Amino acid sequence: MFGLGLLTILPFLWMIVTSVKSPSEVFVYPIKWIPDHLVWEHHVKVWTGKQSFALYYMNSLKISIVGVLGATLLSACAAYGFSRIEFRGRDALFLFYLSMMMIPPQVLFVPKFVLFDWAGIYNTHWALILPSWFSIFGVFMLRQFFIGIPREMTEAAFIDGAGHFKIFWRLMLPLSKPALATFMIIDFSWQWNDYENALVFLTDRKLYTVPLGMQNFILENNIDYNGMMAAATAGIIPMLLVFIAGQKFIIQGLSGSAVKG
Amino acid sequence: MKWHRKEKIAGLLFIAPNLLGILLFFVIPALFSLGMMFTDYKFANPKYHFVGLDNFKKLFTDDIFYTSLKNTTIFLAAVPVSLVIAFVIALLLNRSVYLKGLLRAMFFMPYITSGVAIAFVWMLLFQPTEGPVNNFLRGIGIANPPGWFSTTDTSMYAIDIIWVWFILGYNMIIYLAALQEISEELIEAARIDGARKWTYITRIVWPLVSPTTFLLLVTGLIMSLKTFGIIQAITQGGPSNSTTIVSLYVYRTAFSYYEMGYASAVSWVLFAIILAITLLQWFGQKKWVHY
Repeated sequence: MFGLGLLTILPFLWMIVTSVKSPSEVFVYPIKWIPDHLVWEHHVKVWTGKQSFALYYMNSLKISIVGVLGATLLSACAAYGFSRIEFRGRDALFLFYLSMMMIPPQVLFVPKFVLFDWAGIYNTHWALILPSWFSIFGVFMLRQFFIGIPREMTEAAFIDGAGHFKIFWRLMLPLSKPALATFMIIDFSWQWNDYENALVFLTDRKLYTVPLGMQNFILENNIDYNGMMAAATAGIIPMLLVFIAGQKFIIQGLSGSAVKG
Repeated sequence: MKWHRKEKIAGLLFIAPNLLGILLFFVIPALFSLGMMFTDYKFANPKYHFVGLDNFKKLFTDDIFYTSLKNTTIFLAAVPVSLVIAFVIALLLNRSVYLKGLLRAMFFMPYITSGVAIAFVWMLLFQPTEGPVNNFLRGIGIANPPGWFSTTDTSMYAIDIIWVWFILGYNMIIYLAALQEISEELIEAARIDGARKWTYITRIVWPLVSPTTFLLLVTGLIMSLKTFGIIQAITQGGPSNSTTIVSLYVYRTAFSYYEMGYASAVSWVLFAIILAITLLQWFGQKKWVHY
């Protein structure tokens, strides 16, 4: 079993080892798992070159963090509306939300391209941030969680005269910390790894995110295999840290929303 | 009556900020795209004409489109393959006591990793002449290992291998969650009845997790249909369109050839496929899923 697990992450181990090898050792067979001496220059190149990963990191962090915060707040609001307030047409509206999940992003790329161009946000970070604030998955997942919170907890506050906003802000959000954390981690991973949207809506190199930066690196250094692996390593480090920190949340959140789905 | 109206306003106020965005970034673009597929809109030339069903006529005689459909089918085969492997791993992992958390994290790692980083690594691993995979195959006595991404008849299968590996962790996590829902008494009862391992798995466990299997199959197919990033980063659809799947073809038609009208038509065909699979889920689950 451990062997099978090892086999799964073997490509990553190979990637990291290759990033500190000398070029002549890349394809040596049997694979050299321990290089003769560590070569750090590939990593130095990735971080200090003309197009530095430091810039891509700043861009990605800005987009992911602003995106996640907005998506969490707006999804939580909507999820509260869908789970705690009774009104006619609510369930039909929710069904409409779910049906939106079927639309492939490819359908939306072309009109969004035209729309963003017209609104003047094409080729700016707003083209990635603004749409990311509106997450159907977020509404769906948080609604599932809110439904599970006993009604008595919020109804008592309602009888005491608290309005919906107060109940939402003072009661619902604090009660849902684990669900909010789960959504934030999952959403962060999607935003950080998003390649397709960045590919379509960004052209200016100064605005590139980490996935586009990696792609750019390979276009310019496609024979520098060690450099490629150093770039790939740089690209996955943040997600690795987030994953180690929030593993429990990610796994509970994904399996919870899918099994109950 | 007054209370009801107040509730409705409150409800809509909570939903409104999100709903506005959904309208702006999902609904309006979708409607826009529906209109666009009947035009010859090209980005370079903003003048466009209403061409009726011409884009669809073009579609039926477009060889690359047919190739992309075929490639998509091969691509989707990765989903059931990954499910079976994930089920077996979940079974084994569910019983093992040691290192469970670590193993779970190991299997899950590809899923949270950037598609572009994955593309880089596999591009080198599958390098045909000196790559580690082919070196290994030669090492165990295969004189002519596959060309992977370099030949048209193997490239799509190379993508499949990566995709099975990529979605494995997610499927496994969901199976593990489903396995934990199976009650201890049922397992005990089976053991007392002397059910053999194989019978126990095929007759009891597999049917019990069939709702999960079905859900993973359908959502996996839909998710895969929407994806093109990894393939774009590895092969850009080549060599000679052998890895061009429908979603990638839409992207390329729109943003390399700037045929926005035609791209819209192809993207709605993709939607039709997704809709068909979703309806299958809706109506088909009662037939063979045991609740």
